[in-house]
Amino acid sequence: MAEFWRWKEYRWHDESKDWRDGELITAGVDVGSVSSQAVIVVDNELYAFSSMRTGSDSPESARNAMEWALEGTGMTLDDIGFVVGTGYGRVNVPFADKAITEIACHARGANYMYGPEVRTVLDMGGQDCKVIRCDERGKVSSFLMNDKCAAGTGRGMEVFADLLGLPIEEVGELSFQVDEEPPPVSNTCVVFAKSEATALLREGWPKTKVLASYCSAMAHRVVTLLEQLGVEEKFAITGGIGKNIGVVKRLEKEIGVEAMPAEIDTQIAGGLGGALFAQRLLKKKLAAA
Amino acid sequence: MFEQFREWETNRHEYAQEWKERTGGKVMGYFCTYVPEEILHAANVLPVRILGSHEPQNVTEPHIFGMFCPFCRDCLAQGLKGRYDYLDGIMIAQSCLHIRQAFTSWEKHRPREFSYYLCMPHHVQSPRALPYLTGELVQFKEAVEEWTGNTITDEGLDHAIEIYNDNRRLLRSIYDLRQDEHPPLTGEEAMEMVISCQMTDKEEHSGEMAKVLDALPTRGNGRDPGVRLMIIGSEDDDIEFINMVETSGATIVVDEHCTGTRYFWNEVEPRDDRLEAIAARYIDRVPCPTKDWEDRSRIPHILELAKKWDVAGAIVMQQKFCDPHELDTVAIRKALDEAGIKTLFLEFDVTVPIGQFKVRVEAFLEMLSDEDLFD
Repeated sequence: MAEFWRWKEYRWHDESKDWRDGELITAGVDVGSVSSQAVIVVDNELYAFSSMRTGSDSPESARNAMEWALEGTGMTLDDIGFVVGTGYGRVNVPFADKAITEIACHARGANYMYGPEVRTVLDMGGQDCKVIRCDERGKVSSFLMNDKCAAGTGRGMEVFADLLGLPIEEVGELSFQVDEEPPPVSNTCVVFAKSEATALLREGWPKTKVLASYCSAMAHRVVTLLEQLGVEEKFAITGGIGKNIGVVKRLEKEIGVEAMPAEIDTQIAGGLGGALFAQRLLKKKLAAA
Repeated sequence: MFEQFREWETNRHEYAQEWKERTGGKVMGYFCTYVPEEILHAANVLPVRILGSHEPQNVTEPHIFGMFCPFCRDCLAQGLKGRYDYLDGIMIAQSCLHIRQAFTSWEKHRPREFSYYLCMPHHVQSPRALPYLTGELVQFKEAVEEWTGNTITDEGLDHAIEIYNDNRRLLRSIYDLRQDEHPPLTGEEAMEMVISCQMTDKEEHSGEMAKVLDALPTRGNGRDPGVRLMIIGSEDDDIEFINMVETSGATIVVDEHCTGTRYFWNEVEPRDDRLEAIAARYIDRVPCPTKDWEDRSRIPHILELAKKWDVAGAIVMQQKFCDPHELDTVAIRKALDEAGIKTLFLEFDVTVPIGQFKVRVEAFLEMLSDEDLFD
């Protein structure tokens, strides 16, 4: 049976550079509840990363992500001067020198990805969602997290992709193939939303209309969180759902603010922030030695 | 040094039963901190505060609304499960609807020999509150006398007032030591100390505190206090949560909880009419948010605590669905923010999701400290 929820796992490294020319080599490993990323930074520049599904074993997921990020670069773990672990499994990264929360790391990562003018970061992750306000250095000044439920998160979107039999990477686009925007489904709980959607399909709603309804429910849920803290521009999105335009466009419309365009995969923001913190910590460590 | 408090707190039921056997007195379970315990003490009654057990339960659903706070459900569950069956009486002094429902349901399903609803006025800022409550206390005293067969004399009340005031003074003295740059006790130890005083004989508890107070100034607990935090909110006896915070690079140096400072902060000032003196104490004490209007008098008090105990940040918590606290939270956070003290807001349930709260607490601490992560 096809697994429609399955998003693309991949790796990348900057082939135009030779890491051996660099002085400070650090990494950030973000073991999230759904996905894991290992990001390598050389002299404050993004050099390589991997992004894959988190397994049931956090240390194993961290090791796998790291090995894959290193693949084909000639670099080994020993070449990396400092590793920061982040994400839900941040204390389970066996080779990490320090653990920092994903809240701090996403703000720092967004600061690199979008520039120092970012003031509000929305991280839409696998199983939770955070609104972060930060300063020009990417230091958190306040934050808010959603509560226990997975509605409005990546895992919820995976459940819908599977239910509708539509590939997860296409659901954003497909959700716009409707004549008019349908009312949103329940947004308090993924399980409720799923049963509501099943009923709508039985009523004869086309899949794209159900999808539009879910994307709008998800956007609305995130907007209520954003409004509690207030959106100060410039505004940027990190995390996997940042790649789903079905949700992004709808929430931009609802808050009346456009998110900054992403040039780097939004899903690696946490790992990237961790690797950048590691740069600073390595410098400090070397200065002390 | 704090083992005795932990032991009392952990084995509260055993303690109360032993006390009964030892003294032949009656034990009164009470809800909320507006119960004038001095009057009970003068009749040789041991007041014990009814608290929850932080375990998931399934016995209260038919008796209490789902959108009432988890604390009142947890308290009622203790009664329905028979854990307080040794109580001779139960009582409440009006504070909020939720806990009152726990009381009335308990009254119905686990009736005791004596039960009392004390009509504590809400509008404590009114000049009529004191004469009103004094009148209520006259009736309450008579009811207790009739129940126990003991006459409550002025001497008995004076003695009780002194014992209670002494306990309050000792708690304040130990709290004062937490103003030190290196607090000699943790927030967890302080919590065990203050919670246990609400379920034990006050003289015995004061005796233990006097020993601790002597020993504390020379106690080197060898811990880096990290970030100095204050914790503010409703009822909170969640030791597991406090421990998580204090093992994440912080120390809770002061609290503003009804299980903490609000319980003991104010003393009874002597007056010729003892009941009026007691009534004045409960009218003028640092209030519960159900009674803190029209002025929000807690806010200047909270700011003063924050300043004196030199806190960098405050965790503002409340029991889920607690409307009175929720109504004040916005104003409290704003006042703290304007005073340069950052806040983290958390909603508590019977059990707290430690993992999810840990991320928030750690991120909050990173926000308050970790300047070394930035150029």
